[in-house]
Amino acid sequence: MILWRAAARHLLRHPWQTVLAVLGVALGVAVVTAVDLANETARRAFTSAAQAVAGKATHQVVAGPAGIPEELYRSLRLSGIRECAPMLTAPVQTAAPPYRTLQLVGIDPFAEAPVRSYTGHFSGPLLETLVAQQGSCLLLQSTAAALRLRPGQPFTVESGGRRVLLTLAGYLDPPDAVTRLGLDSVLVVDIATAQEVLSQEGRLTRIDLVLPEGEAGARELAALEKLLPRGTSVVSAGARAGALDRMTRAFRLNLTALSLLALVVGMFLIYNTMTFSVITRRSTIGMLRALGVTRREVCAGVLGEAFLLGSAGTVAGLLLGSLLARELTRLVTRTINDLYFTLQVTGVHLYPETVLKGVLLGVGATLAAALPPALEATGAPPRAAMARSDIEETRRRLVPWAALAGALLMAAGGGLFFVSSAGITGGFAALFAVIIGYALTVPGAVLVLSRLFRPLLGLWLGVIGKMAARGVVVSLSRTGVAAAALVVAVSATIGVGIMVGSFRDTVQQWLGSWLRADVYLRVADRGNARLRPVLDPGLVRRVAAAPGAAGYTLSRRVSVEGAEGATEIFSLQMPKSTFIGYRFKEGDPEAAWGPFSRGEAVVVSEPYAYRHHLTVGRRLTLATAHGPRSFGVAGVFYDYGTDAGIVMMSRGAYLANWDDPGVDGMSFYARPGVSPGELVAQLRRLAGSAEVFVISNAELRRATVQVFDRTFAITGVLRLLTLVVACIGILAALMALQVERARELAVMRALGLTPAQVWGTVIGETALIGILSGILSVPLGIIQALVLIYVVNLRSFGWTMELSIDPLLVLQSVALALVAAVLGGIYPSLRIARSLPALALKEE
Amino acid sequence: MRRRSLGIGIAVVVLGAGLLLIRQGGDRKSGHVERPAGAVTGVLGGAADPRFTRAYVPRPFTFPRDHGPHPDFRTEWWYFTGNLATAEGRKFGYQLTFFRLALAPGAPNRRSRWGANQVYMAHFALTDVAGKRFRFEERFSRAALGLAGAESSPVRVWLEDWTARQIPERPERFRLAASEADYGIDLDLARLTREVLNGERGLSRKGPTSGNASYYYSLPRLATTGTVRIGAARFTVAGSSWLDREWSTSALEPDQVGWDWFALQLDDGRELMWYRLRRRDGSIDPFSSGTLVEADGRCRQLTPAQVVLVPEGSWTSPKTGARYPARWRLQLPAQRIDLAVVPRIADQELTGNFPYWEGAVALLGRDGAPKGVGYLEMTGYAGAGTAGGK
Repeated sequence: MILWRAAARHLLRHPWQTVLAVLGVALGVAVVTAVDLANETARRAFTSAAQAVAGKATHQVVAGPAGIPEELYRSLRLSGIRECAPMLTAPVQTAAPPYRTLQLVGIDPFAEAPVRSYTGHFSGPLLETLVAQQGSCLLLQSTAAALRLRPGQPFTVESGGRRVLLTLAGYLDPPDAVTRLGLDSVLVVDIATAQEVLSQEGRLTRIDLVLPEGEAGARELAALEKLLPRGTSVVSAGARAGALDRMTRAFRLNLTALSLLALVVGMFLIYNTMTFSVITRRSTIGMLRALGVTRREVCAGVLGEAFLLGSAGTVAGLLLGSLLARELTRLVTRTINDLYFTLQVTGVHLYPETVLKGVLLGVGATLAAALPPALEATGAPPRAAMARSDIEETRRRLVPWAALAGALLMAAGGGLFFVSSAGITGGFAALFAVIIGYALTVPGAVLVLSRLFRPLLGLWLGVIGKMAARGVVVSLSRTGVAAAALVVAVSATIGVGIMVGSFRDTVQQWLGSWLRADVYLRVADRGNARLRPVLDPGLVRRVAAAPGAAGYTLSRRVSVEGAEGATEIFSLQMPKSTFIGYRFKEGDPEAAWGPFSRGEAVVVSEPYAYRHHLTVGRRLTLATAHGPRSFGVAGVFYDYGTDAGIVMMSRGAYLANWDDPGVDGMSFYARPGVSPGELVAQLRRLAGSAEVFVISNAELRRATVQVFDRTFAITGVLRLLTLVVACIGILAALMALQVERARELAVMRALGLTPAQVWGTVIGETALIGILSGILSVPLGIIQALVLIYVVNLRSFGWTMELSIDPLLVLQSVALALVAAVLGGIYPSLRIARSLPALALKEE
Repeated sequence: MRRRSLGIGIAVVVLGAGLLLIRQGGDRKSGHVERPAGAVTGVLGGAADPRFTRAYVPRPFTFPRDHGPHPDFRTEWWYFTGNLATAEGRKFGYQLTFFRLALAPGAPNRRSRWGANQVYMAHFALTDVAGKRFRFEERFSRAALGLAGAESSPVRVWLEDWTARQIPERPERFRLAASEADYGIDLDLARLTREVLNGERGLSRKGPTSGNASYYYSLPRLATTGTVRIGAARFTVAGSSWLDREWSTSALEPDQVGWDWFALQLDDGRELMWYRLRRRDGSIDPFSSGTLVEADGRCRQLTPAQVVLVPEGSWTSPKTGARYPARWRLQLPAQRIDLAVVPRIADQELTGNFPYWEGAVALLGRDGAPKGVGYLEMTGYAGAGTAGGK
């Protein structure tokens, strides 16, 4: 009891320290929680959207870009396969503000029952309207409200550059919250309306099937496969959803790792706080022990205090995290939209799993961080516990051991990097081992470096400088840990910064080789999906004859479904010079051109090769309109457009295998003497009233880099958050340190030091810690960048990047460490400098 | 008339089609099935959609054209029921019904072949008396892509692979075929009577409001042969069927909540159709009506004053909780008819989107001697519906 009261009084008497400790835990927990929530929200939104659209389907009949002939649906039905439903779906954009991309989903309400549940109740008239009134659609009431639509109200959507009038017939009434979430961006129409809106009469995107489990299902599947025309196939719905989930997994894992970094920093901070709290009360603890309080009781007291701090921090962290999650979710969703697929997230909920994780991390990490000081406090004999100098002595003796442990941990982590089977998780585990190992060597390094710096500081600042350097060494028990926390945080900003910078440089170089034409043209729509609607053939003929163009290419990008998910195929009609201008990772462009142009072979992008374990000379099988066909791999080229990877083939090969003459993109080379601007103007004139998007090479590059920057905005935010945690840590540590030294400094004041000199000592000390941490964080930062680039990113996405280190970024980070440390010294130094020595001396 | 069908038809189709969406959710028995009677009256009664034709006055019937669809009317059905038995005496009952519901009059003018103004619903039930098992399936489809539809020459009604069609070379015959995983029928129906026009020369009034009526005729006895399949076992059967045909745009009055309909084939060669409309307050509607066909083919329209109908006992459905009369006593004193109408098995309830009871019945005399066979339909008992119970 007395212990608790002692602990409570201690906390109350050092409010700032308590607040900062709680804040440290809170920020650590908040960052982890926020990232977890953002990831989870995006994942759930995706899963429920996929589920809501796929429903209870176990399998799907899919086909190439041209879709499935609707007769297939009838023959399935008439052959007794009755648990099936047709679907035609494509994204459309609303044509008036607020512009939104909605997934138009065309269904046959009469076939839906076994498959999915869009609504808990359709009243008769609503169903009649939906089926019999052309252009009728249904939305969630919330979505309709966001679009400012009421039932009966017409509105325009754009699809493939055409405008179509729809009428809101009524609201979807989903039977449960999950479906509601999934339907947020779904525009449900009758299948007849869908065919008309999308100009796809006679076609279906897919047929959803509910097959029984086990043998009966296998039998039905076999019977079904016999009915399928060439070019269509049955895939398991789970496999498809799984492929999409895998696609974003690496991305989400990367975010989680970044958030854990914030927690590691937070843990250092807690450790620091707890150590300090124990140290300042050593005399109390010694007295208590001398009075007969057992070790166990003392230990429980310290841990109990840690538990209080941890709990308070966790609660605050969860609240803060859920606020932060809103913003992060927006960023995560935007990245997923840019890179993967259209996803709309409206609400962020605090999931129980996330709360549990936050609690375990917050309270658990606090207790773990408090355990060493607790053991230390109880380990010492009562008399020794009261002596302050003892601790520093013990600490310094520990330093070499910590450094050794750190070196071993780093070696272990380093070894793990080379185990490629460990995957991304292994890569991150190794990275964390290296970071923590490195952090353990920091106190030793600080010790050595401050000794080195002492003569320097002495020369520069005289006695004050020497005193500062010695102060750092003498109070290593706190400065060491504070420095370690700062090193981890700063190195993370350096590492992630170098990685993003390298990636950005690599992408820019790649754009230079990839975008070779002067002007690009495609259908104008507001969506940013990778797959575009086709251009009108007449328009293609018109613009191909542009007088300012020396040559042009025709391209088509489609997604072909296979058993392992979709494969993006990019087909391009291009001259040899363009082809050999691409940067190849494997294979010789000159040698590849022959089989490529003849349609015998394809080239695949680096991530595709990585994901599908392809190298030059191997073969891959694609589901063509004439059944599965195998293609040789003639080369692997660098491409940073999508981490799912693409397969590139000649337009001739595409036409022969998919019977799809559509063109969705064109590029033009300007004649000598014609500027890209003039060519753009010419093409716009030729396009006439057609809604096309014409853009010059330079503009397209700029737009692409913009998307890239947007994608990495989330990384920047996390970097910043980690740094904030570290700054708070260093602030807390240094303030505590200096406050504790108040008496010592008062003695100095009494001995004749001026306030300015005291101020100088304190600032000098913290600045030294800052500069040392900054310097020490550079090697670790570079190690992290190397790991992120050559291990994590490669294993996550299959992308090779060229390392490029921006010296400015490194300098900035070191400066940042310095500033954080100096800021941490300002308040205590001011307080001490202002206080009256006599008062400070009496306060003890 | 088969207002039963009526009710059902409509309700089912409109409501049902919607419900169908609903039901996906899973458990069909729990409460999401709307109160059927309310829904029925909602569609059948009230203000009729003015774009559709209504039944005001008797019309001339022309066959076989009138066996085909009447798309100017909102609802229509082809209602086949029958009692069958193997040579060894194993008894079966079957029901194969096609309902048509127009969403809008006329033919659709759409670019998509899915565009449709007509929706079909079908019910296929088989009563296995010896196995004490009742099987039932329900289907929906729009009339598009050849998935469902109706034609008049030759007569053909179908929903996917459930079909009823006239054989062109032998127009007096119908062929019914329907098959599900564990049961099926393939039957040949030969008419033994001419078409019987119910009500006033085929105009069947359901209430005092002008236009709340249907056109209704029956083929009350069709000699039936063919096969019944239960699982993998096939049975050669023979027996007699009944066809009811009815179409309308609006029929029920707001306070009519259900009906009990009898289609009875007496061993003495007579056929008796009687429907009793129940009102919300539990009373019997004076528009209840029926037709007695004498052995020589003469028809007699029946009024409530001529018929004594008393429910006896009750059977509670374990699936819907609805309480149906367990059997009936039906008397036409002037015609010396006094019958117990006894279900072949108690549970012949169709638990689709619109739950109702429809099943094979035996007719017994006062002395318990068999007097004939028939089909009985009872609606408006499920949901809130004990309304018309007695």
